[in-house]
Amino acid sequence: MYRRNSIFLGLFIALSSCSTFYQPTSLQHTQYKIDASIRSDSSVVGMLQPYATNINTTMNKVIGASADTYINKRPESEIGNFLADCYKEMGEKKFARKIDAAFMNAGGIRSYLSKGNITVGKIFEIMPFDNILILQELKGSVLQQYLDVMAADGGWPVSKGVTLQIKNKKAVNILIHGKPLDPNAVYTVVHSDYVANGGSDCSMLKPIPQINLGYLMRDAIVEYIDSQTKAGKTIQPVIENRVTNAD
Amino acid sequence: MPINRRKFIQDTGAAVLASALIPLHSEGAAEPVQKLTILHTNDVHSRLEPFPMDGSRNQGLGGVAARAALIAKIRQEEEQVLVLDAGDIFQGTPYFNIYKGEPEIKAMSAMGYDAATMGNHDFDLGMENFATQLKHASFPILISNYDFSGTELEGKTKPWQIFKKGNLQIGVFGVGIELQGLVAENLYGKTVYRDPIQTANATASMLHKKGCDLVICLSHLGDRYQENKVSDEILAKESYDIDLIIGGHTHRFFEEPRKYTNKKGGVVAVNQVGFGGIQLGRLEYEFSRAKKKNLANAHTVVIGKKTSE
Repeated sequence: MYRRNSIFLGLFIALSSCSTFYQPTSLQHTQYKIDASIRSDSSVVGMLQPYATNINTTMNKVIGASADTYINKRPESEIGNFLADCYKEMGEKKFARKIDAAFMNAGGIRSYLSKGNITVGKIFEIMPFDNILILQELKGSVLQQYLDVMAADGGWPVSKGVTLQIKNKKAVNILIHGKPLDPNAVYTVVHSDYVANGGSDCSMLKPIPQINLGYLMRDAIVEYIDSQTKAGKTIQPVIENRVTNAD
Repeated sequence: MPINRRKFIQDTGAAVLASALIPLHSEGAAEPVQKLTILHTNDVHSRLEPFPMDGSRNQGLGGVAARAALIAKIRQEEEQVLVLDAGDIFQGTPYFNIYKGEPEIKAMSAMGYDAATMGNHDFDLGMENFATQLKHASFPILISNYDFSGTELEGKTKPWQIFKKGNLQIGVFGVGIELQGLVAENLYGKTVYRDPIQTANATASMLHKKGCDLVICLSHLGDRYQENKVSDEILAKESYDIDLIIGGHTHRFFEEPRKYTNKKGGVVAVNQVGFGGIQLGRLEYEFSRAKKKNLANAHTVVIGKKTSE
């Protein structure tokens, strides 16, 4: 009985007005870099071990080679050009039709290609999302709105044959295979289900019908590099002024 | 002795009783300075192992095994420690593709995280998956501005929690970023996004009135934007009762916490430590004993770099 009372007393004090006894007066900060100088916690290593063994077997497989280190940049990057070209080529194979352009959101490139061997794990890092390659037919006027979103976001990867400039956060001087964008023409494009469903402010794409073959974009990258390796090629994308800043 | 007392509090679950009675007994006596050590991460993105040794800038950095050891060491040195994460626990390494977040949550539980909030990528395999992985969590997910009613996450998260740390009561709550346009609709479903500033202010005010000595917001809004989009910076300036915002989403490495003035004229600190578990942030507050309840007035906090160590 006494014990119960004292618990009630404690609760009462904690919840009543007397409880604000302290106020912060100083704040000191530091950041620790987590590096190899810190010994590993063996229990956490043990917890991770079964997961790690399985992951490493799958991920350490080498599928090709990169000529250099390619980091995601805006308005245009080598890795972005590589990925957009890969989606266009693999999309044409998979959908068995001519595709005018492939796009991807720059924020969707989550890592970089490093010089030397390319492993399956590296592709998982670059494209961690289980996004699916989608085909859509876009009217030129819709494509213009879509390209404006890319321009406002600093420039997204576009496949070979598409060039544009960014001016006042809009896409201008757009050429599709050498011809100015025609607002009334229909363009066949491939990109991720994420943007096709309206992600990254692409709401203009949402009402447009999609062709979805369940083809993972990551599988497209792995298969593309496989085919390049079999043809004796290393991955060596270049900047070719597909997307540039006008101002 | 300090460790024993902490252990007693944890073991018996009598934190309320203990923390409430200690000030009574020490009334009038010279009291040691109350100190709280906050350790924090954000946007770890499934980085369980260090970045691969591939010649890149971050090679060899990060990894839960080293972070766990560092956290354990600091826990030995400091009596009152809170370990917090500002969201985007998931997505970014094959661990997530294959194991769907289970080892990430297990590792955070093993490290003794006290709380985390939800980032947009924590929706990446759907809410049902997040709920499934939370079964491995020994810490709460705090999020105050997502209404999960009628979804798989209903009742699985909490808006806020009060942590008793010695004599101190620390209020912690979470705010998340707008999901529409950022996360695929089929992944967030019926989740209702509520205005983060309004919700944060209401929650912080409630925590302050409940007697919290420090109110911490775990935010996945992003530190600041060129366009007029809600951010930690805007939240800090529009706030009344938030002392600290631990941020994420924008993957920014802060050299030092940013300092803002809130609507009461008081200090709000904002900090963020990049991504991938490359860094662990440490914030150490010292508290003075207030003579009486100080609900209305602002207080200043001197922010400086930790010199010892």
